[in-house]
Amino acid sequence: MKAASPPYGLTGSLYWLIRLRWFAVGGVVFTALFADKALGIKLDYGALYSIAAALGVYNLLFLLYLNRVRAAAGPDLPVITNRLANAQIPLDLLSLAALLHFSGGPENPFAYYFVFHMIIASILLTRRASYLQAAFASILFLAMAGLEYSGLWAHHCINKAGLCFLGAGPLPLLGSAAALVSTLFIAVYMATSISLELRKKEATLRAANLLLEEKDEIKSNYVLRVSHDVKEHLAAIQACLDPVLHGLTGPLVPAQEGLIRRSYARTEKLLVFVKALLEITRLKLSKRMETGPFSLLKTAENAVRLVEEKAADKKISLTWSVDKGADLITGAQIYIEESIAGFLANSVKYTPEGGSVELRVTDEGDKVKIRVTDTGMGVPKDDLPHLFEEFFRAKNAKAAERTGTGLGLSIARAVAEKHNGSIWVESQEGKGASFYLVLPKSVPGPGAAGSSVKA
Amino acid sequence: MAKILIIDDDPDIVESMRIILESCKHKVSVAVNGEEGIKAAKAAKYDLVILDVMMETMSTGFEVARTLRASRENKTVPILMLTAIKESTGLDFNSEVGDKDWLPVNAYLEKPLKPNELLVKVESLLKSAVHKGK
Repeated sequence: MKAASPPYGLTGSLYWLIRLRWFAVGGVVFTALFADKALGIKLDYGALYSIAAALGVYNLLFLLYLNRVRAAAGPDLPVITNRLANAQIPLDLLSLAALLHFSGGPENPFAYYFVFHMIIASILLTRRASYLQAAFASILFLAMAGLEYSGLWAHHCINKAGLCFLGAGPLPLLGSAAALVSTLFIAVYMATSISLELRKKEATLRAANLLLEEKDEIKSNYVLRVSHDVKEHLAAIQACLDPVLHGLTGPLVPAQEGLIRRSYARTEKLLVFVKALLEITRLKLSKRMETGPFSLLKTAENAVRLVEEKAADKKISLTWSVDKGADLITGAQIYIEESIAGFLANSVKYTPEGGSVELRVTDEGDKVKIRVTDTGMGVPKDDLPHLFEEFFRAKNAKAAERTGTGLGLSIARAVAEKHNGSIWVESQEGKGASFYLVLPKSVPGPGAAGSSVKA
Repeated sequence: MAKILIIDDDPDIVESMRIILESCKHKVSVAVNGEEGIKAAKAAKYDLVILDVMMETMSTGFEVARTLRASRENKTVPILMLTAIKESTGLDFNSEVGDKDWLPVNAYLEKPLKPNELLVKVESLLKSAVHKGK
């Protein structure tokens, strides 16, 4: 049975419990003050406040401990949090029993607050542990009632003398004990039934999600294989066309040359597309990337060199700068260069003659911000949310340029994701666009060092 | 010998068709999108219109065909539709060809085009139009 394993998301629930306990401390203090000042009930308030204080102190200790454990984030975190959950609830039960003892013992109707602890146990713990907590609460209550009834413990009556049911024989006491104990067990039964059902659903969902991920991986592998095959044939077609085009098979009449040139250019475009498809698929399949320290200044320069000629052809002013503090970073250099080059190529492609394209890399503390701004056609508002989706091309981009893979920006997005960075675009149609890629200066998490991209 | 209008936004496909059709002495005009095609078909009389079904921008080939049919000048001009979408959409045009509201064309050919198939289709369309004209 899966129910024996500690429930998922326990750490969050423990914080929730700690927050609740602060309210409990406040509630105890307020109720005691009210009973004392407004109702004039004579009780050992010193003891009650001390218990409230103890409640506050151990709550603080739990909070500090939980923070420390979580910061360490070791592999045994679930075990520790589970142990913490199992330890906190008995402590709460003891505190409640002590509060009850000093405020009427079995007479105090607040004894039913035990039910809350049963619900909390049912949410946090396994069913068995919850029943154990119910048993522990029952024993505490029965022991307190028995000791007070037999006179071994002092009884702090909250009712006026004579109305104390401890004096009315064992029957009222047994009745109220039976009611409370049965309530506790029934509460645990009901609450654990619901929470087990929820946990089961959660497990099913998680399994379904895992299955989806697996299927996605199978699909990606399939795309990878098909693209490889397509690429192979394309390369062969080009290899055959090349000698003909270069006159190695004899002179061509202009019409022949024109058609072969066209064929060659189209296979070239398809090759570019298939290569991009291979790249995005590989990126998606790779669990880790090969990362290392590199110069972002050099990388930016390389990316700029790639589009310089095209920009000059269109008389586009191309400017760039890299902050000193943003130069040395750790990451997958090749992919970052490709992302920047992709931004720049897009901007140059969709900016009319005489416009400008600007690359700025700025230092943002532990991050670097790469921004490419152009004076191009911009992105229609409806297309903005889809711009980084695979195969998506904005309407106006399609109208302006027939060809384009629709993969460049999705590759950049995958690169951002693999680096725990972020990527976005700001644009208004007709008013240019700014593309942003923000990357951490060093890639955190496992797999950052010494691992490689799965090919 | 016949005047043929090609409406297709792919310059390479157009060039290939132009060379094939001109080899049979046809006179070829080209429009690179639906709107230009409609304009051209209104401005001059053609013996045949070759129309691509999917164009990246403007109207699709379907709309162009319907618009052409709705105009006085092109009520009966033979239209040969080209398609590359059969595999991806599963649409089978065989039964729909000639449907007045949905696909008011006379025939269709699938891409990639084979020169022979194109020429045979074009000749038969031109011939049947001549018959009807009589």
